[in-house]
This record gives sequence, C-alpha cells and structure tokens, in this order.
Amino acid sequence: MQLFIAPGDELPIYRQIMRQITDAIAGGRLGPGEKLASQRDLAEQLVVSPLTVKKAYDELEREGLIRTERGRGTFVGERAAVDPERQRQHLRAGARRLLSRARLSGVSLAEVIALLHEVEAELGLAPAGDGLGSTGDGLGSAGGDGPPAPLSDHPFDQPHDQEEPES
Amino acid sequence: MNVVELNNVDQMYAGGVLALSDVNVSIEAGQVVGLVGENGAGKTTLMRIAMGMLGPRRGTVRLFGLDPRRDAVGVKRRIGYVSEDQILPPFLRVDRVIDLHRSLFPTWDDALARRLAERFKISPKAKIRTLSKGQARQVALLCAVAHRPELLLLDEPAGGLDPAARREFLETSIRLLNEAGTAILFSSHYLTDVERMADRLVMLHDGRVLIDSDLDTLRESYSLALLPANGTVSRDRLLALGGCLGVRERSEGLRALFALAPGETSELLAETVGIGDAPCHRIGLEEMFIELVGGQA
Repeated sequence: MQLFIAPGDELPIYRQIMRQITDAIAGGRLGPGEKLASQRDLAEQLVVSPLTVKKAYDELEREGLIRTERGRGTFVGERAAVDPERQRQHLRAGARRLLSRARLSGVSLAEVIALLHEVEAELGLAPAGDGLGSTGDGLGSAGGDGPPAPLSDHPFDQPHDQEEPES
Repeated sequence: MNVVELNNVDQMYAGGVLALSDVNVSIEAGQVVGLVGENGAGKTTLMRIAMGMLGPRRGTVRLFGLDPRRDAVGVKRRIGYVSEDQILPPFLRVDRVIDLHRSLFPTWDDALARRLAERFKISPKAKIRTLSKGQARQVALLCAVAHRPELLLLDEPAGGLDPAARREFLETSIRLLNEAGTAILFSSHYLTDVERMADRLVMLHDGRVLIDSDLDTLRESYSLALLPANGTVSRDRLLALGGCLGVRERSEGLRALFALAPGETSELLAETVGIGDAPCHRIGLEEMFIELVGGQA
C-alpha cells in the first residue's frame, strides 16, 4: 500500500504513519495476515528516518494491530489481538471531540449517529453487528458487550492531544 | 560508545566573541540528528569541531572515543562530510575526483560508488565545472559516503538545491543509513527536511544549545499559549513559570512557548496566573523555531 506523509503537519511523522496504516486496516484495504512493507523499504519510500518507521511499527504492534515475525516480515494482525480497553479509550476521546463539535454546530446526537452510518457506508465497512449506534443509546455504552468496536478514524488521539483542556 | 561526544565545548571567534558556549551533544550509532539555528548560531563551528578542523577552546571532543585532533587521519577515515560551500576542483573529471577520494580511504566500496554514480546519472567523463549545482553536490555526497562512514556530517547539504535535487539527496542519505547504520548529523534551514529525516533535534542559539530533544517528543509535548495583551500577566511572570521556554510580545498579545502538552499548559496557566481560557496549540517546527529565536531575552 502507499502512504503519504506531510512533515509540516500537526501530527509527528510516526503518528501519521500509524494513522494511515490503521485507516487502511479499518477500511479493509489491508486485510488480516497481509504483509506490510519492511521498515527499511518504508523509510526509503517516505524518505524518513528508519527509526521513525520503527517507532510507528512498534506502537502498532503494541496496539495489537500488526505483528512482526523474525526473519519473515511484518503482518497485519488478527482483530482478536486488539486490546479492547485501549481501543475504547481512544474511541472515547474521538467521540468526546466529535460530540463537542456537534453541540457547537447545533447538530443533534441523532444526526451525528446518522452521519456515522453514512461514513461507515462510504468507507465500505461491514456493519459491526451490535456495535456503534445500533444500541440506540449513544456512544457511551457502545461496544460494551459486543466484540471490540471497529477502529475509528483517529484512534490514536490521546486525550491530551486535544487542544481544549479536559474539563 | 557514542559516535560523537562533545562535552562542555567553548569556541571563540577572532575578537573574543563566543561562537559556542558550554555545548554538550552526543550522538549514538544510527541516529539522525538535525542541527538548526539562525545564521551565526554556531552550526558550522560545531561541525568543524566535530571534524577536528578546529580545536575547542575548552571542553572535550570525542568521535568513536577518539580525539579528532590527535587521531586526525583515523577519525577522518570513519566520517563523511558534505557542506554547502564545498568546492570540488572544477577542471577535474568526475572519475578523477572519485579516484582521488578512493585513494584516501582504505574502506572504499567500489560497488557502492558505481551504484550511486549510476543512480545519479552523472557521466564519469564530465568535468566538474559542467555539472549543475545539484549534480556537483551529488558527486560530493558520493565521495563522502563510498567508504561507508560511521558518521555523516552534512553542513547545510541541500543549500542552493531545487526541491527535487534536495529530495534526491535525502533519499540517498536514508538509503545509506539503512544499509550501513550510519549516524547522521545534518544542519539545515529547511525545517521540513529536518522534520522528515531527523530523530532528534538540536537547536543552537547564540552558541548555546537551546533545545536537544527527541523530535516526536518535541512535537507532542510542546505548545504555544496565546495570552491577552491587557496586562493581566507579564512576560517576566511567564518566563519564570516552569516549562516556559520563550515569550514573544506582539501588539495582539503574548505568545508563550511551553515544554508541555497543550492540556498541561492550560492547567498550568489556570493554576499559576489564573488564566483558564488561553488557547494552547501544538505547533510545527518552523513556528517553534520562530517563537524560540524571537522569544529569547
């Protein structure tokens, strides 16, 4: 797959790499078990320091999204490896921002949920069963007893990344 | 063992002006360190001291654990150097210039030199003076790396090159790093190049190290707070806060740079100076540079 990075961007480069790989996995462009470019090759393709690529891969591996097999390469992991608690934390941060923004623009929760469904269709994601939205009582309880929620667009935004203070 | 180790290094210009003041920098194998600072901040002096072209007025310099003044040849054989104002002999042919370098370095790798020459599409028979600026810089890079140095010193290597030639130059450097684990110290005014290539950033200002940090940490845990101009808080008060690196006073307000993530800066400002609603932003390297250099006392 092809990646693109922008050095002047708000996100550090290793995060840009992580986000694009995550998006590709979430969008199905990278399937479970598929092989990723080697760290060296990716560093050369993107013209970035090999340590930057290593950092991105290490983080993705910690998230359970990819796994490296010594001597064979790096592969997209199985969904089961994703730490659901961590993913939920990331999703919660994204949800908080999404809802604040919706509130500011006068968009209702129902409209936001409808929007999420539209985006899901656009991305070609399979409906996630009893996951987001279909429980009908908002994002707070989403994924609580279902399988781990699918990856969000921006799962790596830690709460401290937000420009607004937490409370 | 670190590839480069500068400890408490001072250097003076003629006339007693400090060019470097108590500089401490160390570089590990395989690291890419970007060296930035205004013109005259001491970047070139630092490179020359690392090369052993200058001795420090005070402090110690070690490359691969050796003194580059005492083991001048031994050290130079393990490093490569390209600078913006490097001049190759204009009337020599490319292959003669390459021969010249080959004869100086026992570890010269002919296959690598050939591969690079092919990649750069430079005719070995061409005279240096007929080459474009970008091509001449590529020849210089080839000569600096074909002996597979453990450390590559690039002093403003992309200066004067167009974007395509600059990118090509960076690509070759990355390739080398991949192949040989070469550590790179490069100075540049192109901060996007630094963001792209470097793992670590060293910022010099008036001969001092203002910042020495992992680049990602810098991007994620530095922020700029925009504060009102109405006199609720003074520049000095802000500078006295822990984590405040610089404050610029502008007609529309104060801009304070903090070594804290945006949320932490907000909290700090709320707790210490009672301003709870100051917007705090993450910023890119270029803005950070301007805020820092412009915000010094």
